[in-house]
Formats: sequence, structure tokens, C-alpha cells
Amino acid sequence: MKRSESVKFLFVLPGITWVLLFTIFPLLYTLRLSFFYARLGRPQRFIWLANYARAFTDYRFWSVLKVTIFFVLFDVALTVIIGLILAILISRPLRKQIKGQKVFRSIFTMPLFTAPIALGYLGLTIFHEEVGAINTVLRAMGFLRLPAWFSDPWLARFAIALVDIWQWTPFCFLVILAGIQSLPDEIYEAAILDTSSGWDMFRYITFPLLGPVLFTVTILRMVETFKILDIPFSMTSGGPGMATQTYSYYIYLTGLRNFNTGYASALAYILLIIMLLISLYFFKRLRQIYE
Amino acid sequence: MITKSKWSVGNIIVWVVIIIALCWAFFPFYWAIITSFKPPGVILTKPSLIPFLQFKPTFYNWKNEYVSRGREITSALLNSVIIASGATIVAVILGIMAGYGLARFKFRKWKNKDMTLWFLSQRFLPPMATAIPFFLFMKAFRLLDTRIALIMTNATFTMPFAVLIMRDVFKELPVELEESALVDGASRFTSFLKIALPLAAPAVAVSAVLCFSFSWNEFIFALILTYQKAQPVTVVIAGVEHTQGIQFWFVATRLLSAILPPAILVLTVQRYIVRGLTFGAVKG
Repeated sequence: MKRSESVKFLFVLPGITWVLLFTIFPLLYTLRLSFFYARLGRPQRFIWLANYARAFTDYRFWSVLKVTIFFVLFDVALTVIIGLILAILISRPLRKQIKGQKVFRSIFTMPLFTAPIALGYLGLTIFHEEVGAINTVLRAMGFLRLPAWFSDPWLARFAIALVDIWQWTPFCFLVILAGIQSLPDEIYEAAILDTSSGWDMFRYITFPLLGPVLFTVTILRMVETFKILDIPFSMTSGGPGMATQTYSYYIYLTGLRNFNTGYASALAYILLIIMLLISLYFFKRLRQIYE
Repeated sequence: MITKSKWSVGNIIVWVVIIIALCWAFFPFYWAIITSFKPPGVILTKPSLIPFLQFKPTFYNWKNEYVSRGREITSALLNSVIIASGATIVAVILGIMAGYGLARFKFRKWKNKDMTLWFLSQRFLPPMATAIPFFLFMKAFRLLDTRIALIMTNATFTMPFAVLIMRDVFKELPVELEESALVDGASRFTSFLKIALPLAAPAVAVSAVLCFSFSWNEFIFALILTYQKAQPVTVVIAGVEHTQGIQFWFVATRLLSAILPPAILVLTVQRYIVRGLTFGAVKG
């Protein structure tokens, strides 16, 4: 029953007002600030698009952009793929309830709810070149040349990616598993009559039917990974040099450590535009999900 | 795949995979636990994995953390509790109402699905884009280093979860129940409060838990907007970077202290987690 009544505004207005106040207005302020040369909130000179132009000639901008894109692509790809493989492996013989499912799911959701900042510092202790867990195990296994996790740019990126993947794979796994378990049995029963090859069933039935779920999970993860800051902040503080300095980290340093707020605002808006372009493409799909 | 025998190769592979996955998921916590019980000297010199066999566990770090320097961590935990609870209350109340409104009513001027997507887009927003205005705003209103500031901030960023989860759940509730209440003379609001809401109680719980957890774990705004009195646990964790180097032992104790509340809360609603975290897009 959806009639037009004026009480409907009572329900929706508080939320919308809050969002307006705390999101739109700040965004507009940031936009305005990005056109100025500013030191901590005092816009000093209107400099048109100079901040944006500066970004494109700033080697640091390109560096952090590349690093962030690396994390987005690498982390999300691995997370979804590993989650998918795990979900497939576990779902097939055990299509219905298994005994320990509650406990299993509880342990598996713990990584999600760990503060990323804490995880970063823990990662520091695990990947530590001398006394970290990983190198200890490698040393015990007989490796002589232990990876220098925080001295090499790519190893540092890999370490951070590993922590991020560790944290989010359980999420992808659970979501995909839920998706698989919601697929109707009849299709599989019919398919078994035609072929008993697991690979065929995956390729022609499971994978296509999982399309929406994989899509949802991939966008959600991509969007969140673009903002990654906590883990590089704590684990490597930007890594050897700037090897692991991500985009949001760079905005933070520019705006709130160097107090170059005009430039930081421009950087933030560039990121916003990138995210907007990505989400515009995906929103069309999302509309279908949300009716 | 119809496997008859319980011990077929398929099942064994599954169990091996499950065990490996559980070990992988649990290992960092295990590492944190044993590190927190190792004396600082051992941590830095003799890396070891098995307690009692390779090193002698001690309560030294925990005593140090909670007794000698108890002030820091306990006030941080208190701040976190207040901030996360406050943010959760705000986000959930506003979210429930907005979710119900979007689920049950038809909006002409701004269409329902547009508003829904707009709430969803809040998650797409990079926090840093609003960080500077937030900082200046709080500074202007003398709200820097207050818990209220963080409550408002976290409420803003976690509200999308509440709105979308509740909207999804309310849509699935049969309208007839509320309609019969309306026929009996109840107002819209009463039928919402007394009928729809109690039926959607699990969803409210999930929203609350998610909002609480994400507020609890939030770091960057906590760092920006506080400097002494209102620091939550996440910032105190970052305080392990000492002039003498990273203090591994405190990393462990603080991480374990910080993870306890969200972990316990999540246990209560883990059946609905998938649904909550995908904003209702995937029914788990």
C-alpha cells in the first residue's frame, strides 16, 4: 500500500537532512576550497583550476594513484577468486547444513571486524624481517635468503595486500557461499543427467547464476579498497619511500599534516570523480537489484 | 554431486580446506595472543610460536597495559564504547525511520529508488573528501576532541547500512498486518512502531551491530578530530609507535582488547551478517 501521505516525510526527512548536513555541505565546501590556495581553511587566493593542474604534474599524485589502483585490482581479484574457490569447494558435497556452521562462520567473520589499524600493526609484527612470524617459519624451513618485507617496494605492497586480502576474503567467501546455497537444487539434478563433470556444471550453471552475487561483491570491495588508508598507515607508513602510500593517505598528509588544504581538496575531488565514474557505470546494474 | 560415502575423497578435501581456512583466519589472533604473553625481551630476540615449549608465558605485558598505564587504555575503551554506542543509536534510529519510509511509501518528487541509491552512495564517498570540512566545522564549534564530534561523524558513515538493511527487511514484511492495524484506527506511526518494528527486530540488531562495529574500528576521523580526551581505542593502538620503536607487546594487548567487543557482538547476529554487509543484495 503506497499512497501519498504527508507522514511519509516524517520518516524520511531526519535521515535525509542528516546526510545533507554532514555530506553535501562538506563536499561543497571541499569543492570551493579546491579552487583556492589555502592554508588550513583560510582560502587565500582564488587560483581557478591551478590545484587540479598541479595534481596532474605532481609525480606523487601519479605514484599514489598507481599504488592505489594496484591494490584495488590485486586485492579485489584475489579476494573474490579465493572466496569463490573456497565457496565452490565447500558447497558441493555439503549442500545443506553442516554441524559446525555456526562456529565456522563466527571464526570466519572475525577478520572483518578487526580494526584495520590494529591489523596493520599486527602485520608489522608478523612480517617483521627479523622476528616476525613469517620469516621465523621460513627460516625454520631452511630458507637462507629471507624476504625483506619492508625494504623492498613490491614486497611491502605484497605484504599490505596480503593483510587486506586476509581481512576480506572471509567476507567474499561467505557472500558467495550464501549465493551458491540459494541456487535451486533442481537445476543441478537436471544437469547431472546430462553430464557429471564438475567443471561443466560450474562453467555453465554455477558461474552464470552467480553473476549478480559476484558482481555485487566485486563492486563493494573495489569501492572500499579505493579508500584504503588504515593498513598502509600503520604497517609501513607509506612504505619504503612512497611505495605503499595510497591516495587517501596522500590526501591526509597533504591536507592535515602539511596543511595545504586547497591542494588536498582538489586531490579529494579528483578521487571523488574517479569513484563517481566507476559507480555511474555500476549504478545502472545496481538499479536492477534495488527494483 | 551425490556422494554416498561419508569418507569420499570429496569430503576429505572439503575438511582439509576448511581446516586450512580456519587456521589461516585464526593465525594472526593466535600470534597476537602468544605475543601478548611473551616478555618483551623474548619478543625481540627469540621469535617463537609455541608457548610453554619455547618461552615462558607471563602476564607482564597485560599488567603493564592495564595496571601501570591503566588510565590510557581504560579511558580509550570507555571513549570507544560511548562513541560507538552513540553513533549506533543515531544511525539506527534515523536509519530505521528512513528505511521504513522508503519501503512503504511512494515518493513522487524524488523517487524511492533514487533516494535509496543516494544513501548507498554514501559508502562510495571517500572519507578524506569530507575530512577537512569536518575538521574545520568541529573546530569552529569547539567540538574538537569531544566524543560528540566522533558520534556525529560515525553516525554519518554508518547510516547507509542501517537504511538499506531496514528498507530491505521492511519490504519483505507483508503489508497486510499493518493495513489491518490501520483499519483498526492506528496511525501510520503507531503501526510502524508496534507492528513492523518488532517483526523486524533481528534486522535492527544486525544494523546496530554493524554500525557499532564499524564505528568502533574507525580510525582516520578519530585521529583527525581528537588529540587527548576523546581518543578511542583505535588511536591508542596507533600509539604503539614509540620513540624507541614499535612496541610489539602493546600491539598485541591492545589489538586483543580492541577486538573483543565487536567480536562478541558479531557472534550474536552472525546468521544475518551476509545480508547486512551486502546491503540486502545477497540473501544469506
